[in-house]
Parts: sequence; structure tokens; C-alpha cells
Amino acid sequence: MLMDDNTIAQIARPGTSLKLPGTGQGAPSAGVRPTTQGGRPLSGFARPGTQGRPGTMEQALRTPRTAHTARPVTSASGRFVRLGTASMLSNPDGPFINLPRLNFTKYAQRQTLAKALFEYIFHHENDVRNALELASLATEACQFKDWWWKVQLGKCYYRLGLYREAEQQFKSALKHQDMVDIYLYLCKVYTRIDQPLTAVEIYKQALEKFPGETAVLTGIARIYEGLNDLPNATKFYKEVLHYDNTHVEAIACIATNYFYSDQPEIALKFYRRLLQMGVYNTELFNNLGLCCFYAQQYDMTLNCFERSLNLSTDDSASSDCWYNIGHVALGIGDMNLAYQSFRLAITFNNDHAEAYNNLGVLELRKGHMEQARAFFQSAQMLAPHTYEPFYNFAALSDQVGDLQSSFNNAKKSVTNYAEHCDSQELFKQLRKHFSIL
Amino acid sequence: MSVATDTKPGDTSSDEVDSKWLNAHYDPVASLYTFTTCMALSDLNGDGENKLIIADLGTGSYDMKLKVYKGTSLMSENAIIDLPTGVSTFFMDTNEPRTPAIAVASGPYIYVYKNLRPYFKFTLPPLEVNEVEEQLWNQTREDKIDVRVLREMLDSLRRENTDSSLTVRSLRFLMLDPDQMEAFADLHKHSPMKKQTVITCMDTLKKSMSDDDAISCLVIGTESKDIYILDPEAFTVLAKMTLPSVPVFLSVSGLYDVEFRIVVSGRNGHIYTLKRGSKTAKSCVELGSQPVGLQRVGKNIVVGCMDQTLQCFTTKGKRLWTVYLPSGITSMGLMDHKQRGFKAVLVGLNSCEVHVYRDKYLVNVIKSQDAVTGMQFGRFGREDGALVMTTKGGGLIVKILRRNAVFEERDSSGGPPVAQNQKLNVPKKTKLFVDQTMRERENGTTMHRTFQHDLYRMRLNTARAFVTALDNSLNPISMNPTEPLKLSAQIQGIGPTFKLTVSLQNTSMNTPSLSLIISFQYDDKLYALQKNLIHVPMLIPGLNYNFETLVECLNDKGISDTIKVFVLRQHRAVPIITAVINMPVSESVIVV
Repeated sequence: MLMDDNTIAQIARPGTSLKLPGTGQGAPSAGVRPTTQGGRPLSGFARPGTQGRPGTMEQALRTPRTAHTARPVTSASGRFVRLGTASMLSNPDGPFINLPRLNFTKYAQRQTLAKALFEYIFHHENDVRNALELASLATEACQFKDWWWKVQLGKCYYRLGLYREAEQQFKSALKHQDMVDIYLYLCKVYTRIDQPLTAVEIYKQALEKFPGETAVLTGIARIYEGLNDLPNATKFYKEVLHYDNTHVEAIACIATNYFYSDQPEIALKFYRRLLQMGVYNTELFNNLGLCCFYAQQYDMTLNCFERSLNLSTDDSASSDCWYNIGHVALGIGDMNLAYQSFRLAITFNNDHAEAYNNLGVLELRKGHMEQARAFFQSAQMLAPHTYEPFYNFAALSDQVGDLQSSFNNAKKSVTNYAEHCDSQELFKQLRKHFSIL
Repeated sequence: MSVATDTKPGDTSSDEVDSKWLNAHYDPVASLYTFTTCMALSDLNGDGENKLIIADLGTGSYDMKLKVYKGTSLMSENAIIDLPTGVSTFFMDTNEPRTPAIAVASGPYIYVYKNLRPYFKFTLPPLEVNEVEEQLWNQTREDKIDVRVLREMLDSLRRENTDSSLTVRSLRFLMLDPDQMEAFADLHKHSPMKKQTVITCMDTLKKSMSDDDAISCLVIGTESKDIYILDPEAFTVLAKMTLPSVPVFLSVSGLYDVEFRIVVSGRNGHIYTLKRGSKTAKSCVELGSQPVGLQRVGKNIVVGCMDQTLQCFTTKGKRLWTVYLPSGITSMGLMDHKQRGFKAVLVGLNSCEVHVYRDKYLVNVIKSQDAVTGMQFGRFGREDGALVMTTKGGGLIVKILRRNAVFEERDSSGGPPVAQNQKLNVPKKTKLFVDQTMRERENGTTMHRTFQHDLYRMRLNTARAFVTALDNSLNPISMNPTEPLKLSAQIQGIGPTFKLTVSLQNTSMNTPSLSLIISFQYDDKLYALQKNLIHVPMLIPGLNYNFETLVECLNDKGISDTIKVFVLRQHRAVPIITAVINMPVSESVIVV
């Protein structure tokens, strides 16, 4: 409405939206548990979506989307490209089925054939529009009584970004038939339209029908994790383990939670369990190394990191590994090793904002103000959601007497992480300074 | 206001926390833009019902209005020509029925309204015009001097004369572009010179009797650092006093014919007192920060300052107390409940609260829906203890003091901070931890040796990796002290066309970098770049330079590769720094 005097609150209430991380209750603060590159709560398990949804368009366009960190900007991107790769390989003698020449009305009448045809169009050809057409004709043909078609319609609508229509179809399908699958799809829709609490509600309804279903329990835990409500997330992950004691995601997430709530020895136990189960990759050894270091099992620490480095196949993982080695070096006071490690972290991943920040601090200790300033600036640019580079820059500017930029940066730091004491202190001091006559 | 008076105390369950005030009215979209000085409560018609008079600043540049509310509804609206700076109601005669006049200060004028109709316009006495300036304009009129000369002479006059400024006409003339000057001078040179000042604040002072409906004089502070006292019947200047600074807040007490005292806070952060018969002001307090509100309670002066403090002084200028507030002050008002003999200071804070201070004790906190910018406590309608507040967002709030409300003397902010009683969430040491400590204690030496051994190996490996990275110039930050450069590269877009942004920064203290070029390495079957080579201009230390190029993905099979960005010195094969970009998978072109 134009010229409307009333203002509607744009910001969701704390703990009801996935777009507003860090407002959940009882989670460790940003000073203890780091966030992902998008500023989302860190999960113990990398899955599509843990990189978080982008906050701004620029962020959405900027963040790397390689094949394995696929995060769709549009509804058909990265991940779906891989799902549809089969359709991209050109056949020498033309396509198997020529879609534009099919008479959908005819095939929609023949139920058994229509289902197979739909699956071919949807999964192999990855052509959502034609799939939707067939599905809507077929559901009409069976007088809207077949739940299967309704689910397929919902899936198509979801792909096209018509979430409310998808919700309707799934709900209607649930009236015919209770299926775990449908509940999961429905919750996916709710998560997508940023209604996490409704999604949890639906999951709980599903649990009443299918008690002990791990997929549903995991779904609840994931949503709580996204809301940064970690006590609840852990509760549900534990319940998952009660029914399925080899659930990798649950074990990893519980371990991460223990690690960041100051009990690395228990986290270590969970990670060892993963190792016993046969998970053998760079991330796991990286985590094991960190847990060993913080649980004071020094003989294992560096061994694990070495193994992690050797296993690493992609640059961003090695970058994280070098970053952690840098932390270990800081812990034992070897500044040279720390410096080299952070430099290597940046070499492998140009966007490693935390490494930039730490390098800045090291440069500052050496008295290289200009270098430190450049590092903090890059960290700020790469990760505008963090508070550390802003506070460091503010403290540095305060030292050299550039109070204006110090004030601006302290303000940003306080905005990003309101409970940070040093930032608050500096901000208060500067504000006092500016208001004095 | 009958709505609120009918409400029995205890009926309002909506606001249980605030047991001392009843919510009478809240209109979030009243679209009022006003401040405490532009609000007044008075019985305009003599019918025993007090109205709320608000001078609305409109948009701040037009649409200024004098609004009168009867109860919760708007009774009348009068347009005001210029921005209002103050509103007062006062009795100007002894006629029956006793109806007060409204005085609205605006620019150099005071508009007096009786029965809500314009009645009289008082203009401040004009100031003396600078002789030289007058002569200059006279010469222009007789075409003796050119507009250019006039401009130069006026400009030099403005520079040397700091104490007495020029007229508005000259100042406006100096602001004009050279081509508009001629027309402006032609238009205005025939009218006589006049120099006017602007009213900054206004208050009333009872003339000879202290009754509620006795005749009052108007006290006016002006931009020319003067205080005028006006006779209410003839509108002549009864007294004129001079201040060393521009007055911003006034507080008046006493009777004009007997003895009075005016407390003024100046724009320079000083507080002055004026007495009957004195021509110039006596400075009594020098504040540490700019005042944002001034009230008098009994014989004390309470000042709210910009540094979030509330300070109290005696009239002699001795500081009695200072209270530190949790947020910045937006407005201040006086709460004078005569029936109960309760006097307190109301302080509106930025944090959407109004604090009630009796002496230095915080006796009550009122939570409002928005930051309060103006407030008046007094009789509104037929209710004696009404608090009218306007908010930053343009809302109007009316609250009524409960008849059984008691303000405790005690400071309600005392006691240890709440944080002291909170328990820290320290996890218990687990049995596992104890076991591991046992292991550590038993095998201390072996563990240490292994760790040291590993550490040496790790240092070696790190150094090796580091040297390799340096040799290949894989680092985005140069280690060479003669080439202090930092490179970062970003890729934006969803494909098939991406934008590659390379940002370069010279991290040295004072040596600029010259003759650099940026080049790329990529698979030419997969990608096509718009610019293969970018010449870098001179890099000034500390600044960030961005260079952009478009990258087109030639393949639609969902394959991605890396692109290497090199920064090179001309005629040298080895790059100074390198950045590796992992290209995202490109979206295929969607044909709709």
C-alpha cells in the first residue's frame, strides 16, 4: 500500500525465523562457537543448506558454489544440474523420448504408464514444466483420488518455487495416505518459506503416526540447529541415536555441540565412534586433532592433523586444516609456525576471513600497523557478519588516534555481537569522548 | 476525556506492570512532529475542560499547524507560516469569562490567538543594521557600484565582523551564483534595510499577582542573544536583557512587578541567571556537555545533558547531584501535581522509557511504545494528573495517574546488579576427563616426547609447504618487502556469464607500486575472458583498487575449473602474487 502510515515489523521475533540466526535461546555465544561463511550457526555435518541461505543478493552471488557446496540461488541450479546430467549427454540418434511430440492427455489416462513416464520426465529429463503438465492431467483423470499424483504435483510446484501450491498438494495428499515422505516434503516447503516452527509442528504430527522414524527426528533436530537452539537440537539427535546408533549426522552434530560447550573429551569419544564406523576423511581427522589438543591428549594431536592434510583432496578443507594448525601453534606460543600456517590457509582459500583476521593480529604484535590494517580490512570485506575484525580494527584505529573509524568499526562490532564486552567498552568510551564538550 | 475518567482503577489488565498509570489513549498515527516546548495544556473556552495545544512542525519545511485537541479528538487546526519554536498560553486581560490567549513563537514573530482566531501579530524590534552594509546597498541603489564590488565588500565585511552579523538580504546575496546576483540586487535594492532576529525560546511570567488566572507577561529569548519581556496588554517591551550566548532553554519564576528570576541555558553550554533590574546575565554553571533540557524544581535547577546525565544545581551554581542514565535523553518535562504536592522531573529516553525523578531518586519508569520527544503533565480534559506524550514516530500517548498511586521515596534502581545472582554455566568435569588426566599423569614423559617429535615434523612440513607456495607465488599476499601487495579475487553471478573482481591493495607505508599488470590462466575450452590482460595504474598505499572482467562459461555440461589470477611486473616472467579461484558450476541458459 502506498502512502500507508502504518509500519509493519520486518524483523521476525527471536527464535521464529531461520533468517535471523543467533537469536535462539541457550546456545553458546558467537564468541565461543564460530559461524559459517554466510554467518549461519555452524553445524557438525555438511549437507546442502548448512552453508546457509544468503542474506543479500550480493552475498548470494558472491559465495562460492562449487559442485559440492551447491546452494541454489534460483530453484534450478548447482545440485539439480547434477541430478539432470543424464539428460545432458547427447544421444547419437536423438532423444529416447521426444517430449514436445507426446500427447499428454492420452498417456494421462493410462495410470501405470503415466507414472513411469512422469518419473522419466522429472528425473531423467529434468523438465519440470512438462512433468507438471502430465501430473495435473493425470490427477484429473483419476478424479483427484490418487495421493501419489498429488505428491508429484507438490514436488513440481516446489521446484518451480510455488510453495503455497506445493503446501496445498502435500496437505491434500496426507488426507488420503499417511506417508513419511509426504511429511518430509511438507516440512521442506515450510522451511523454505521460513516457517521453522510450523515445520517442527508438522514433524511432531508425523512422529505421532510413525514413532521413532529417524528421518523425521533428524528433520526436527536440523531445524532447531538452524535456529541456534542447540539444547533442543542435541535432544533430538540423541533420540535419533536411540533408534539408529550408526547415524553419522547425529553423532557428528552431538560431538560438535560438546566440543563448543567446553567438553572436548566427550566430543573426542563421539568422533572416535565415527572412525570405528569407517568414516575416514580429512574433516574427521581435523576434528579429532582439535579435540585431542583441547582435551590435552597432545601425543595424538599433530598426528591427526598430518593425516588430515594427507587425506585432503580439495583446497577449502586443507585451508581449514592449516587454519586449525595455526590455532594449535598459537596455543603453544610458536608465532612463526602460526604465521606460516595462517598464510597457507589463505593460499589454499582466498576467502578465509578468520585467517586474515588472525594474521592481522600477528602483524599487529610485530608492530606492522599498515599490514595489520590491510588484513583486517580484507577480513571485514569477506565476512561482514563477524565481529572480531571490526573490533580489532577499532582497537587499532583507537591506538593511532583515528577515532572516527574506530567509532564506526566498534559500532559494527557491537551490532554483530552485542555481548562482546571489549567492543562495548570501547564503544562506550568513544561515545563519551564525542559527547564531551 | 470522559472515557478515561469513567474507568475504574484496576480495570486495565493490559498494563499490570505499570500500576501507577492508566492508558487513556494511544494513537500511533497521529502524525505529530513536535517537542515539549511546542505543547501546552489549557482551558481555552473557559468551560472547565483543558485542551491540548500542539504546534506541529509538519514535515519540518511546510505544513506547519497549530492543533488543538479536545479529549482525544482534534478540535481545530490553524496553519502556521513558519516553523514554530514555542507555544504558551497566558491571560492578557481581566475580561470574563476567563479565556487565555495562545502565543505561538515563529521566526521573528509572535502570533497571538484568542478563541482560536488570529488576534495579533507581534514583531520583534528590528536590530541595528551595520552602517557600512547600509551604505553599500545605498550605493548600489544609486548605481554607483557594481554587484561584483558589492559582493566583495560584503564578503570582507562578513569576514571581519564576527560579533554583529549581516542582514538576511546580504547573506542570501552572498550565497547566490554570480549570474543570479544582478537580478537579486535589482529586485531588492529599493526596499529599506531591515535586520531581524529569530525567537529561540519562550515562556510566561505572572505580572503582579500569582493567581492561576492572573495576567502574565511573555518572556522571549532570541538569536541575537537577548531576552525580552513583553507587556501582555499593549505588547510593548517592558525589559530587555543581554546574554553572552544564544539562549536555548528558559525557566521563569516569580512576579514581574515584585521579583523574578529567569534561568537560561545558552548554546555554549553555560547556564545564566537573570534577576529583576539586571541588564546583563550572571553565569552560574558551566556544563561539561550540551544541555538537552532544563527544568526548575523548587530552588534547584535540573539539567539533562547530552552525555546521558541528569544534573542538579542550586541557583547559586553549586552542583548537588548527578545521575547517569541508561540511554540518551530525548525530552524533559516537569511533573507538578499540585493537589498532592508532588513535584518531579520527567525524562524521556531514547530507549522508549520515561523516567520520573524525584530529587535524585528514580521513583517510576513508564514504558512507551516509541521514543518520547515531547511531553506535558497537567490537567487535560477534567482529569488533573494526565501525562500527554508525543513520540518520535508521530504518535500521541495520553496516560492518567491513578488516584491511589503512591511514589516511594526510595531509589528503585539500588541494590546489587542482577548479573551477580546469575549462575554461570560451567560444565562439570566428566569422569572421562578424570580418566584422561590419569593417563596424562602416568605417561607424561612419553606424551611430551611424542608431541615434541611431531611438532618438529610439523614445523618442517609447514616450512616446506610455505616455501613451495612462495616459490610458485601462490600467495595472495606478497612476502617480498619490495613489492608489498595484497590480492583478493571474487567471482559473482550464476552463469553462464560471471563477473570476476580482482582487488589489489598496496600495503606499504609510503611507496607506490608502478607498472604492474594482471593476467589470467584458464582453460580456453571452458572459459572466455573479456579482458585477458589488465594494466594496473599506480597504486597508492592503503587504498583498495578494484579491477573487473567478465568470464563466460562456454560449456553447459556442469563442469567447473579453476582460474588463476597473476599479478606481474612488466618484463618479468615470475608472478609477484597469485590467486586461485574455484569457479562455480554455471547455470545453463534457460530458454523460456
